[in-house]
Amino acid sequence: MLRLAARRFGAMILIMAVVSFILFLIFETDKLAVAGKVLGPYSSLEQRELWLEREGYNRPFLVRYGEWVTDALRGDFGESIRFKAPVADLLWPRLANSAILAGLVFLLMIPLSLLLGVLAGMREGSLLDRGLSFLSILTTSVPEFASAAFLVALFVFELRWLPGTSAMTGGFDWSQLVLPVAVLVLYDFGYVARMTRASMAEVMTSHYIRTAILKGLPRHRVVLRHALRNALIAPFTVIVLQLNWLLSGVIVVEVFFAYKGFGALLYDAAMFGDIYLIEACTMVAVFVAVFSQFVSDVGYTLLNPRIRFAGSTVR
Amino acid sequence: MATTRRGRRIHPGVERMKAQLRSGSCDRREFLRTVTLLGVGASAAYAMAGRILGEKIVDPLQAAQDAGRRGGILRVSMPVPEIKDPATFDWTEKSNCVRHMIEYLTYTGPDNITRPYLAERWEASDDLTVWTFHLRRGVRWHNGDVFDAEDVIFNFTRWLDPKTGSSNQGLFAAMTEEYDTGERNADGSPEKGRRMRAGAIEKLDDFTVRLNLSRPVLSIPENLFNYPTAIVHRDFEKNGGDLLAWPMGTGPYTIADFAVGEKCILRRIDRPYWGETLEDPFIGGPIHLDEIHYYDHGAASAAQLAAFASGQVDMTFEVGKDSLQMAQSVPGAVLYEVTTAQTGVMRMQVDREPFDDPRVRRAIQLCCDASVYPELVYLGRGTVGEHHHVAPIHPEYFPLPAFEPDLEEAKRLLAEAGYPEGLELSIDVGNTNGPWQQQVCEIFREQLAPAGIRLDINVMPAPQYWEIWDKTPFGFTSWTHRPLGTMVLSLGYRCGVPWNETRYCNPAFDAALDAAESTLEVEERRRLMEKVQRILREDAVIVQPLWQPKFTVASEKVKGFRAHPTQYHLFHRVWIDA
Repeated sequence: MLRLAARRFGAMILIMAVVSFILFLIFETDKLAVAGKVLGPYSSLEQRELWLEREGYNRPFLVRYGEWVTDALRGDFGESIRFKAPVADLLWPRLANSAILAGLVFLLMIPLSLLLGVLAGMREGSLLDRGLSFLSILTTSVPEFASAAFLVALFVFELRWLPGTSAMTGGFDWSQLVLPVAVLVLYDFGYVARMTRASMAEVMTSHYIRTAILKGLPRHRVVLRHALRNALIAPFTVIVLQLNWLLSGVIVVEVFFAYKGFGALLYDAAMFGDIYLIEACTMVAVFVAVFSQFVSDVGYTLLNPRIRFAGSTVR
Repeated sequence: MATTRRGRRIHPGVERMKAQLRSGSCDRREFLRTVTLLGVGASAAYAMAGRILGEKIVDPLQAAQDAGRRGGILRVSMPVPEIKDPATFDWTEKSNCVRHMIEYLTYTGPDNITRPYLAERWEASDDLTVWTFHLRRGVRWHNGDVFDAEDVIFNFTRWLDPKTGSSNQGLFAAMTEEYDTGERNADGSPEKGRRMRAGAIEKLDDFTVRLNLSRPVLSIPENLFNYPTAIVHRDFEKNGGDLLAWPMGTGPYTIADFAVGEKCILRRIDRPYWGETLEDPFIGGPIHLDEIHYYDHGAASAAQLAAFASGQVDMTFEVGKDSLQMAQSVPGAVLYEVTTAQTGVMRMQVDREPFDDPRVRRAIQLCCDASVYPELVYLGRGTVGEHHHVAPIHPEYFPLPAFEPDLEEAKRLLAEAGYPEGLELSIDVGNTNGPWQQQVCEIFREQLAPAGIRLDINVMPAPQYWEIWDKTPFGFTSWTHRPLGTMVLSLGYRCGVPWNETRYCNPAFDAALDAAESTLEVEERRRLMEKVQRILREDAVIVQPLWQPKFTVASEKVKGFRAHPTQYHLFHRVWIDA
């Protein structure tokens, strides 16, 4: 098990190293373009060359890359061109905001989707099962921008119950999180619920469940003690992978509601060609992607006793 | 020499303008605009017009004054960009963020009348080549320094230094000269730049500066309210050249909190504002608001409107045409519509293939039936464009014969230019002030198709378009309103000026523009503008589909607000009716 974790961890580091190198290659090979970005379009060639010399850009590429990696590991990603502030100062509050959003989405979505998925999976073909399938396909197939516009039209313009944006300009306000969380939960719960339902339905038809039922065990004990643990293995992986989506896949929702999260920061960085910010955001996004994959792999192995690896198998 | 009761000289042009108003050869609007440019106070100008026309005409802004109530915060949804250097501002939003902290020498009201601001008054020589500005005494910077001629000279010097990269170079071209930069162009020819002429500005005393122009220009006072002409302190560069790092102004507010992309919080200064004792309809009198808050909800007007609808802000910077009905549905919303000279042009770089052939440019222009755009894009609002960037609301506008699209002629020109089978074009569009730009390009694509021109529309994010706006061979650029057509022409179409995105250079056009800018008589100037407009249209460097109307929405509790065609904010007289 430890070997598996170590191997996966090594692969994670390798992926990050490769991505960082490609990133650096793309953004920092053309030194004059970097200087032009920082100093602005009206800067002269002479000003750009002076800046490059002062900032050490005239050193070999690999030396610069090595220094960039060292600084990045210390949390120093340079200064944002658009925001005129250290990237680290921008990154952490935005990550915290996205974590709040993601946390609330998880808090609502996981119990809801697991409950509905399990209930539907327990009685395949029932009215509940069909109803859930219909609802989840509907909500998942409506893109976030459409459901956001619909909810804003209803709750902001028509009923006037909720704030229309989530910029938190007057300080933290829970009510401003209602609409973005609702949009994300609506979009995502159906997917997880359907995965849970499929997994539960499969488990419920397995021999050991049939044996347990035939043994005369009460249905709730069969479900809770025997079916649920196995049925939740597949949704676990799916849920962990949603972490990645909730960080950088929610750009549309964060921009729509002017929520100052990581997704909106990534969007701003990309729109304005803010090189240092793009680099930092990309590395964070890649880290979360590979780390959630790592957690998912290791967790799946721990939860599923049928998966064992060659080194630890007793023949 | 005619003088006022206080013994001040009256420009001889004022008498000529009076005669023109009497004879009916200029209208009241043009009379008011011109005599105020020549140094007559707005109220006096309105009174003069009233006497001549035998009507009781009072300054409408003066008439609209109400008592107001002190206190309160005005919250506005508007993008908050970086605001480091006012001389290089390229968005109106940037100037709005600091408009109540740093100020201008003059201001042009929504009625198109230019009034004194940091300059108390001005005089122009008879030939309009020498402009003397008398600066207001008793104005202090927030650190207690006295505002004086040194500040003004510092700003002009900075604007006209090519290293600053300010668009003001185009506006004040008559104060500059051409020089050899020492660098070479791609074709090996020496690269030329423009810099301030020696003696172009002089200090007569601590509160008087004189501008010496190489040719007559009437619009100098109007140019001084163009958004990158805000006056910064003479020590601006010594303190880092960053307004945020050293927020020093003469205005009634200072920046209390600022974060790009989030907010700009302005707080009233804790000392008397010089303008509070001033009699002026827009900037004079007591300051009402305690604070002005700009919140960034993104450039999309939908988010701005959602913030307004839920009471998170009192006002939006702009409402898109598609959201008008929604805006009006909000209880207590007041919609402001203003006719503007804001536009977008599909402009071609004349030194890049295939646009280096005038026949190709002309053929492209001939495909444009501009009459359909206001209806298709703005539901009947807006005005048809005429491909010369002078709007019917501009006082010097000359009505050329309507532009007639001609597909057969377009095909003939293309064939003559070596494209008998038509050609493929790609236009860059950034939707920099809304998706209407893309819509325009899509309509134009259909209009080009019958002539064999296939247009590929390359849509890109707005910030990315602003990276390439002056580099792309074919792009769609939006231009904001300016009170005079000649201002835009000077900024964007004169040889070698920083914002000349088409790289167009026609000495005949420059000369015609010089002549128009230097002519006081309205009829004569309009006649001269015919040539300017005709040259630009015939040289076919732009395709201009329409002039945009602009909309904004504010809560009914926001009082004293007047929408400005430039979307400039002037909140000195605004108050909140709690």
